[in-house]
Amino acid sequence: MMKEEDKQKLEGVKEQIRHERKMFRLESNLLLKISDTWNVFCEEMRRIFHDPGVIVLFFVAPLLYPILYNVLYFRNELLEVPVAVVDMDHSTESRRFIHEWNATPEVEVTHICVSMYEAEYLVKHGVVRGILYIPNDFNNNLASGLKTATLSLFCDMSSMLYMKNVYLSANKVMLDNMYKIQIDRYAAMNMDPELSWAFVQAAPYEENVMFVESGGYGHFLIPCVLVLILHQTLLLGISMLTGTAAQENREVFILPGRRRRYSILRILLGRGAAYFTLYMALGCYVLLLIPQWFGLPHIGQAGDIIRWMVPFLLATIYFGISLTAFMKERETGLVMLMPTSLIFLFMSGVSWPEMAMPDIWAAVSVLIPYTVGVHGFLHLNSMGGTLNTVPSEYTILWIMFACYFGLSCLLYFIRSKHYKKLQRKGLTSDEDSDERARRELDALIHDQEEAHIRAMEQSLYNALNNVKHNLTRLPDDDAQDVNDQFKE
Amino acid sequence: MREMKMMFYKPIYFYSTIIVFLVSCIFFLSVLHEGQPEKMPVAVVDLDQSSISRRVVHELNATQSVDVTVRCVTFEEARLAMQQGWVYAILVIPEHFYSDMLAFKRPTLTFYTNMTFTMGGTTAYKQLMMFSNLASGAFQREILRKKGLPDHLIMQRIQPIAIDGHMLSNPTSNYSVYLSSIILPGILGLIAMIISIYTLGIELKWKTSRELMAEANGSIVCALMGKFLPHTLLYCTMGWTLNILLFRILNFPIAGPLWQLQIGIFLLVLAMQAMGTTIVGLLPVLRDAMSIGALYGMMGFSCSGFTFPVTGFVPAMRAVANLFPLRHYFRIYSNVALYGNPFIDSLPIMLCLFLFLAPQIAVNIRLRNAFINQNYPLK
Repeated sequence: MMKEEDKQKLEGVKEQIRHERKMFRLESNLLLKISDTWNVFCEEMRRIFHDPGVIVLFFVAPLLYPILYNVLYFRNELLEVPVAVVDMDHSTESRRFIHEWNATPEVEVTHICVSMYEAEYLVKHGVVRGILYIPNDFNNNLASGLKTATLSLFCDMSSMLYMKNVYLSANKVMLDNMYKIQIDRYAAMNMDPELSWAFVQAAPYEENVMFVESGGYGHFLIPCVLVLILHQTLLLGISMLTGTAAQENREVFILPGRRRRYSILRILLGRGAAYFTLYMALGCYVLLLIPQWFGLPHIGQAGDIIRWMVPFLLATIYFGISLTAFMKERETGLVMLMPTSLIFLFMSGVSWPEMAMPDIWAAVSVLIPYTVGVHGFLHLNSMGGTLNTVPSEYTILWIMFACYFGLSCLLYFIRSKHYKKLQRKGLTSDEDSDERARRELDALIHDQEEAHIRAMEQSLYNALNNVKHNLTRLPDDDAQDVNDQFKE
Repeated sequence: MREMKMMFYKPIYFYSTIIVFLVSCIFFLSVLHEGQPEKMPVAVVDLDQSSISRRVVHELNATQSVDVTVRCVTFEEARLAMQQGWVYAILVIPEHFYSDMLAFKRPTLTFYTNMTFTMGGTTAYKQLMMFSNLASGAFQREILRKKGLPDHLIMQRIQPIAIDGHMLSNPTSNYSVYLSSIILPGILGLIAMIISIYTLGIELKWKTSRELMAEANGSIVCALMGKFLPHTLLYCTMGWTLNILLFRILNFPIAGPLWQLQIGIFLLVLAMQAMGTTIVGLLPVLRDAMSIGALYGMMGFSCSGFTFPVTGFVPAMRAVANLFPLRHYFRIYSNVALYGNPFIDSLPIMLCLFLFLAPQIAVNIRLRNAFINQNYPLK
């Protein structure tokens, strides 16, 4: 019985020991993994801060660009566009019309011309941006009430904003005048003014411009550009870092400090965390502080914007890592990705409505974190929404993050497989032979130089020893003197 | 020269120039091919639910530039749709709209436009404003008709004064004409600059610059000219093809002769390459030069002033805008294509573009030293 009990006890102890060992192994494994990830994180941070090119992209650009853009569009709106008037009528009515037009904030009548020819010359040389032509029967038509008095408006099309200003302001003045004339006529027919208003404008309208009250160009463009800056600098920076790593013959999927340890997950997590930490801080500056400093629309909740930033940045980071998985040179990414900025800006549908976009591009735009993300940001920042009212973009960003994380794992896996195959063949890297030869030559020269230096050092040392040896034979005082001289 | 060989051997040249440029061309031309955005989604909140309000909605739907996609019962619902970006504008038809109208009580139509999305918002806004005016006009016409006035007199009554607009040289206010003809040459110039930085920087990076100098007999000017000649030819060919495509095949309006614009393209490419060289000359480290070049290049689009006109900038920025070659190309473009001014007017602007070659000459000495001594960090 006793034996049985002992045996059981022993078994129990053994079991316990086994279990503890297992736990310990697991724990140390986990700790190791965490410390690995931490190492990757530190390594990536170090690389970022030691690379001036990346510093320009990661810090100078996000810090400076928003300010530059705000200064550029500081005036925000285009006011007092210079226009010319060709008045062939010279009547009180025509002069009043010109006067009223001049009084609108959008335009300023700077030239009164005597002929169309003169006015056209002014437009062609960029002096004025629009012409109003008043024909000589203008007043007559108004007075007789038998014909519609027609004015002609000519707009410079070099910028749509000129056109918008000239056109809208003239139309407003025209409508005002139209109602006034009608009311006057009805008044002449002894109609009750109240009634005549109802007659002339049966259903008046009230216009409300929402969210961007000024309707200004800067206030519309800059929020989109802010998000674009974050997105593009992140992509370019990642491509640069990946390319550099590949160039310096460090394979991106090897853990730092070890030669043959691959762990894709740890690497990706560590690198992602490095970018994420930096960009959360930069994002707060670009998306929260800048709009406040420069009076851009910012009616969003800061907490919501930060919460939105998390999936946006994560999706962008892994989008960047996936894109650049096979990049071999640091510059490739820059050359390829630069012109996409404009395409992304357009694809987002902020300037050109997405509804008018061909289906294929609309489909592509769903794949890019920027185009999805910017809608979320505008919703939160400019339109006063909350995360509860913007669920679709928010979830899409999380899904995007998951997809790109998976994709980047897959791509790195393929790459590491490829690398292992090469290793088996005895080729550690696939750089072309030319470059390898150059590198070897460099190394050789380096070695030779070093050997040379070492030899020189050696001879110098020998000489010194000889001198010292000789010195010992001299009387002490003299030796002291010479020694002092040596020291000097 | 050997640059030709390099261009053929390195796929990056091929991808980045031809492929990237082609993709951008296809993208912008296909996205903007309609010229004017049509069928912008709007929401209608019909609080009246009468036959006339339904007719209003119906007729609004029939207009070219808006499309009633959401019909709501409460304003809250419509506002949410607008906040989520489903619609660009909301039209609210008040309660008792029909009966108030008949009683001459002037019921007010209210519309809300979302200016966060400028194009969609503006288009919807214009359409709604016009529509509201037309609605009033239609009401007046009906009453006058009942009174037995003939139609031509009614028209005169309703609209005693009218404006007919003429948009000089872009009669349909086509956005493709307006944007593509500047953005695409701009992208070309951007590529030209980045590649010229790349191609010079790579010589320093791989320490091959001495070979280059040896081949050019020690003359930096010869070396640069030999190096850029194939690039310049390539970009000019691309730019010229683009302009022929835009103005001859797609029939974008152009008032002046095309060859003047082609000179503009040539000068733009030269100027951008010169700016690239200047940047490398100042910063002979490839990675830094590329980053700086990227920042400079992207600013060019905003500063060229074809979206937000330069006259609207603060004065200091107006001066800065002149530092970007694309700005001058835009001026040549408006001179030639929009206004059809004689060649003599474009000449000073072309001279300005030519001046961009000057700083490059200044950095030549520095560049030569860098090429020969190779005393800069490698990476």
